[in-house]
Amino acid sequence: MTNDQSFMNKHHFLLRRLHSLTGIVPIGLFLIGHLTTNSSIIWGAINGRATHAMDPELVEGVGKATAGQVGTFQHEVTFINESVPFLILIEITLWLSIAFHSILGIYYARTGKANTKRYEYQGNWRYTLQRISGYVGILFIVYHVATLRWGWTWLIPGGTKWDYEYASSTLAMALKGSETGDWTFLGVLVSLLYLLGVTMLVFHFANGLWTAAITWGVTITAKAQRNWGYVCAALGAGLMAAGWGALFGFLFVDVQAAKDIEEEMLRKKSADIVEPEAVSMIPATEHTLVAIEA
Amino acid sequence: MIQSNDDTDLATDTRGHAANGKGPSGARTIRVRIKRADSHGKNVRWEEFKVDLPSAGERDGAINVIACLQQIASNPVTVDGTRSTPVTYESGCLEEVCGSCTMVINGKVRQACSCLVDDYAPNDGDLITLEPMSKFPVVRDLWVDRSRLFKALASVKAWVPIDGTYDLGEGPEETPDEQQTRYKLSTCMSCGCCLEACPQYTLEEDESKFDESFVGAAVISQARYFNMHETGATMKKQRLDTLAGPGGINNCGNSQNCVKVCPKEIPLTESIAAMGRSVTLHRIKEFFSGR
Ligand code: SF4
Ligand code: SF4
Ligand code: FES
Repeated sequence: MTNDQSFMNKHHFLLRRLHSLTGIVPIGLFLIGHLTTNSSIIWGAINGRATHAMDPELVEGVGKATAGQVGTFQHEVTFINESVPFLILIEITLWLSIAFHSILGIYYARTGKANTKRYEYQGNWRYTLQRISGYVGILFIVYHVATLRWGWTWLIPGGTKWDYEYASSTLAMALKGSETGDWTFLGVLVSLLYLLGVTMLVFHFANGLWTAAITWGVTITAKAQRNWGYVCAALGAGLMAAGWGALFGFLFVDVQAAKDIEEEMLRKKSADIVEPEAVSMIPATEHTLVAIEA
Repeated sequence: MIQSNDDTDLATDTRGHAANGKGPSGARTIRVRIKRADSHGKNVRWEEFKVDLPSAGERDGAINVIACLQQIASNPVTVDGTRSTPVTYESGCLEEVCGSCTMVINGKVRQACSCLVDDYAPNDGDLITLEPMSKFPVVRDLWVDRSRLFKALASVKAWVPIDGTYDLGEGPEETPDEQQTRYKLSTCMSCGCCLEACPQYTLEEDESKFDESFVGAAVISQARYFNMHETGATMKKQRLDTLAGPGGINNCGNSQNCVKVCPKEIPLTESIAAMGRSVTLHRIKEFFSGR
């Protein structure tokens, strides 16, 4: 027996269950939040508050829906990047969890041998797809984070860089593979990769949530497993809609209009930072002066 | 011949009764293709034989695959006229309760004794293929060595401890509900169908690796069966320890093939989930009690 095998055997139970757990918390939980945020590029259209502070003429020009979509998404992204405390710690936790889950996942997946050719049951297909989606999913995640978060622009067809202050427009550029937001052949491939990646990961999470309930012994009877299956399927359908919605939202957003709105928001933000200081400093100084005089 | 009430869903794939005179009830000649070997991986070859089936009027009941193998043994000449040897296979009860005749028929695992030729080869010239199970070492032809399964049953102590230095008296009472659940679990015949169809159960020839190889659905279900028994439950802890370890319950990948192919329709996936819960609680208790 080799050393790593004996390590795996010694901590067999703990590792298996941590593998199951990390898939739900934090990874699955993050996925829900991430897709909800990103789909704001669609549901932002009905977010009336997003356009309140904007120049009405600009909103008129690009359309209230587009302004709401880009505005809401930008607001979310700015919030995450500027106001979430310990963002780096959250990121490290996520990375460690993903690394742990995928490395062990590959190790475990290799213990099985798919046999859907002979036993074409739906459950067997899901078993096989769970493993395939894990492989595809991890490749997609690495590409996704490397290009957009670590700035490996050489992996982006147009060589553009994603900028959180121009979240929608630079994302559209990265997806379509050009600075103008026009489609390129490689851009189509990248977009298809995103479609595949999102689909696989959402399936992986929904199906994994279903099997986790069996693994931990939460759903025992066939009926309970079926019931929980409906819940997982509904959650999966919802996340799939959010994921696809987000992708198509970014693919079909007007890049120039998005840029205009992002710039407007940046202007408003820098103004916001100056104004409160200006307002609060003056009375304070006056107050001090009054105190000294007295 | 065996009159069996065949209700496994495996037969349905090739089922299809022809309405011509040579149909399921008519006299006909069918072909049987068999994957043979002298021992595991040695001289593996396919041989095809012809089997003559008398018409329904001339025979007593249905004809099963074992009867075909018997006919081949009486005159082992292949379709191309070469003289061969009788095909080796295991069988015992001939009524689907011992599990020994399990093999892969037309690509799916099942018992040969309950596999009726009228369902699988209703027409003249129809073909039936027989292969040994792929997850166990082949002893010869269709006969495989299932000792890994029996060793795994021993590893979860699949029995009720009744030996002692004094009379243990009558067993404890059981509710009808429990009795119903346990009865179903008790019908397992260790046939190996659930293991053959399981993607997580892979061939292991090295006996020293049996301990850390997946025990499979049947064994998990038997552990549940004996844990549910009041006297059997005295060894609950040992069973759960084995199932929590390498090769235990966590090796299951939840494809649920096992429950689909079990000829006894044992609710294997419920057993897996129930033992999943027991093992989880067992480990949590152990963590906090330190024992
Ligand atoms: S559980 Fe069913 S398929 Fe598995 S060994 Fe027992 S009887 Fe055979
Ligand atoms: S549910 Fe588990 S034991 Fe049953 S066939 Fe699938 S992997 Fe094997
Ligand atoms: S001979 Fe016993 S099950 Fe077939």
